[in-house]
Amino acid sequence: MGDKLLGGRFVGSTDPIMEILSSSISTEQRLSEVDIQASMAYAKALEKASILTKTELEKILSGLEKISEESSKGILVMTQSDEDIQTAIERRLKELIGDIAGKLQTGRSRNEQVVTDLKLLLKSSISVISTHLLQLIKTLVERAAIEIDVIMPGYTHLQKALPIRWSQFLLSHAVALTRDSERLGEVKKRITVLPLGSGVLAGNPLEIDRELLRSELDMTSITLNSIDAISERDFVVELISVATLLMIHLSKLAEDLIIFSTTEFGFVTLSDAYSTGSSLLPQKKNPDSLELIRSKAGRVFGRLAAILMVLKGIPSTFSKDLQEDKEAVLDVVDTLTAVLQVATGVISTLQINKENMEKALTPELLSTDLALYLVRKGMPIRQAQTASGKAVHLAETKGITINNLTLEDLKSISPLFASDVSQVFSVVNSVEQYTAVGGTAKSSVTAQIEQLRELLKKQKEQA
Amino acid sequence: MAKLTNKLWGGRFSGSTDPIMEMLNSSIACDQRMSEVDIQGSMAYAKALEKAGILTKTELEKILSGLEKISEEWSKGVFVVKQSDEDIHTANERRLKELIGDIAGKLHTGRSRNDQVVTDLKLLLKSSISVISTHLLQLIKTLVERAAIEIDVIMPGYTHLQKALPIRWSQFLLSHAVALIRDSERLGEVKKRMNVLPLGSGALAGNPLEIDRELLQGSLVCQTQTNALFTSCFSAFSAVELLSVATLLMIHLSKLAEDLIIFSTAEFGFVTLSDAYSTGSSLMPQKKNPDSLELIRSKAGRVFGRLAAVLMVLKGLPSTYNKDLQEDKEAVFDVVDTLTAVLQVATGVISTLQINKENMEKALTPELLTTDLALYLVRKGMPFRQAHAASGKAVHLAETKGIAINKLTLEDLKSISPLFASDVSQVFNIVNSVEQYTAVGGTAKSSVTAQIEQLRELLKKQKEQA
Repeated sequence: MGDKLLGGRFVGSTDPIMEILSSSISTEQRLSEVDIQASMAYAKALEKASILTKTELEKILSGLEKISEESSKGILVMTQSDEDIQTAIERRLKELIGDIAGKLQTGRSRNEQVVTDLKLLLKSSISVISTHLLQLIKTLVERAAIEIDVIMPGYTHLQKALPIRWSQFLLSHAVALTRDSERLGEVKKRITVLPLGSGVLAGNPLEIDRELLRSELDMTSITLNSIDAISERDFVVELISVATLLMIHLSKLAEDLIIFSTTEFGFVTLSDAYSTGSSLLPQKKNPDSLELIRSKAGRVFGRLAAILMVLKGIPSTFSKDLQEDKEAVLDVVDTLTAVLQVATGVISTLQINKENMEKALTPELLSTDLALYLVRKGMPIRQAQTASGKAVHLAETKGITINNLTLEDLKSISPLFASDVSQVFSVVNSVEQYTAVGGTAKSSVTAQIEQLRELLKKQKEQA
Repeated sequence: MAKLTNKLWGGRFSGSTDPIMEMLNSSIACDQRMSEVDIQGSMAYAKALEKAGILTKTELEKILSGLEKISEEWSKGVFVVKQSDEDIHTANERRLKELIGDIAGKLHTGRSRNDQVVTDLKLLLKSSISVISTHLLQLIKTLVERAAIEIDVIMPGYTHLQKALPIRWSQFLLSHAVALIRDSERLGEVKKRMNVLPLGSGALAGNPLEIDRELLQGSLVCQTQTNALFTSCFSAFSAVELLSVATLLMIHLSKLAEDLIIFSTAEFGFVTLSDAYSTGSSLMPQKKNPDSLELIRSKAGRVFGRLAAVLMVLKGLPSTYNKDLQEDKEAVFDVVDTLTAVLQVATGVISTLQINKENMEKALTPELLTTDLALYLVRKGMPFRQAHAASGKAVHLAETKGIAINKLTLEDLKSISPLFASDVSQVFNIVNSVEQYTAVGGTAKSSVTAQIEQLRELLKKQKEQA
């Protein structure tokens, strides 16, 4: 019993099932590196506050360095009585340097240690996720730049609407993802607020220099209130919320590409590296990579729902409920890391089928342009739309496409139609109208690409 | 059966719509609150159309005065919604045509309904966020000012709801204030992204009439513009952000509610709610139930449900507009209404509750100072782990003897460690205990005062941005 951190007071033993419930080692092994870093910083602060002598500090630091080596070599041993990583490291330190190890925890509580470790770990996790996200955005943007001349149908309600540039489609996803990147930066801002020096809930009673801790651990500020510091898990909720919305964006991108890669649409072909065959049907080429990306939205959202429910209605300060945070957030970090890289791979290796896109640019896509033609001749839009709708109907009745209606046919609908109406039936003319900012004209698309490149540069600097 | 010519997409369709479909399709009941912003958006767009040469000056004037009349009708509550009005945009356009004739039909040139809907919702959300911000800042201010006044009150601090250490009551209040300030910050971040103007994105390809989007931007006080394809589902994603922020805010309030509910039990007896925020029992005369807090706590579920709903709607939707996206409005409006109510009630509860200082004092039983006994030994040179074990033994010894820990004799203590001396009596003092925690964020008077100052500063900054 002497090894349990609660040792002094308890004289019975704990139910072994309780030990299993209480223990959370495998998730926590990932925290070993940051725990050591945080302990080193705390030891320095203890020396400055005269709780440790210089010699004791040196012993503790070199002991911790050795444990860090053991951990990176994968030989840090976890025993069954190690409740968590923090216990394991402290036990190991005592084995290495004796009773002086017991001075390290002076004025520090496990609650603040745990939340500090998690924040330190997530700080670097966010950098990794940001990097992958920016790479995905860059891939979309550069692809849009190269393929800027490709025109395809644009859809609403998955029904053919108007012609657009393929790049416009790619960039629509890039734009959504830059907002995710922005949000990640906002979360990071709040993660880099250091809780260490908050004690168990009332603060630190030994005149510890919290600024020293902050600078040692490369955090941007220190927490304002000790109770909030040890109990808040806002940053976990925020990170998983941002992740959820990011996954929703990726699920939409996946859905789009899955539809575009059907034989019926035939606009894109995935690289074999991101497809799978069928054990039964030889012709199959399934977009499994995209399906998996789409599916992970559920997993990530589930983690969000779980942590929110854990947090709802629990009293202030620390409760064991909070232990649920780590597994949730680390699973999300791992999922994002994988999904972003696969998405980047899919985008950079897929092939577009320009002929199929061209074939799909059927004349009724230009019906709106027929209406705009009349608008430019002075007709109110509502009437112009009705007229254009009648043209569509008339063509259908005659069993021909709208561009094959004769001028007489058109004049029977409105006298405003003249021979220049033939200019309407050009896909390039059509897309080139949309010159307002954000539109699908070449100039607008080029401008978007420039802006996104700028944004990427800025985001990279902050990552 | 609705007349087809009234439907905006009339020309092509020659059959009629199933009335149940009409019901499913209709969103007019829900989006009536968007009437004002819809009119604002249309006025701005009309001006842009005039600048682009699509409308003459006369036509613009007619349209603007027509829209002003409609705005009046809405605010007076005399606007008549017809069964054929699919949504607010249809309704306003129909009325405009009744007022000024066919010219009304020019208003929609180059603008799609998707465009319009998204813009309207964003404008509405912008003003809703301002209202929520104001109430939130008021709640935070109430907590901070209460903390300032009652700074000398000391009570037990808990972890796992077991007595831990003495803290100041103000430290507790400020812990909630600090969390809520983060919510306020997040609201500001969402607002920043909402300040992006979607109008001028057409159906998905942009605007084909050389519409000046900067002009639109200026008249609707927005910041920047977006990719037209992305815009069409923009409102739903903005909604997700707002609902996420709202959910976390509700989680914070549920924690505050839980704390106060527990503190107001007869067993704890630390606070008493004002009658204005309590209810009695129809059966049991002694009851005073903290219903206001229970309702606040409960609304976390509703708000989260709205978030979950919108996320599920969005997952796996193909790009651009799909009718699924209509589901966002009701969710957002419900959450905005909920927050507006909950924040005001919470502020009322906090500002009117009474604290019971005697009960808090009575609860400051000696074992709360056990950690200080350990720190006493630490200051005499003992490693913390040993000091911790030693004071654990002291607790155990006192329990065996059936006395409080501060009643152990010096001999008793010396039997545990020779480091104990007569100065150990200074340990058993509550004020000394809290005053140790002088590091930033601690519960010493100086630290608490510093927190109050910082929060007042933050409140000032947040107010300016609201």
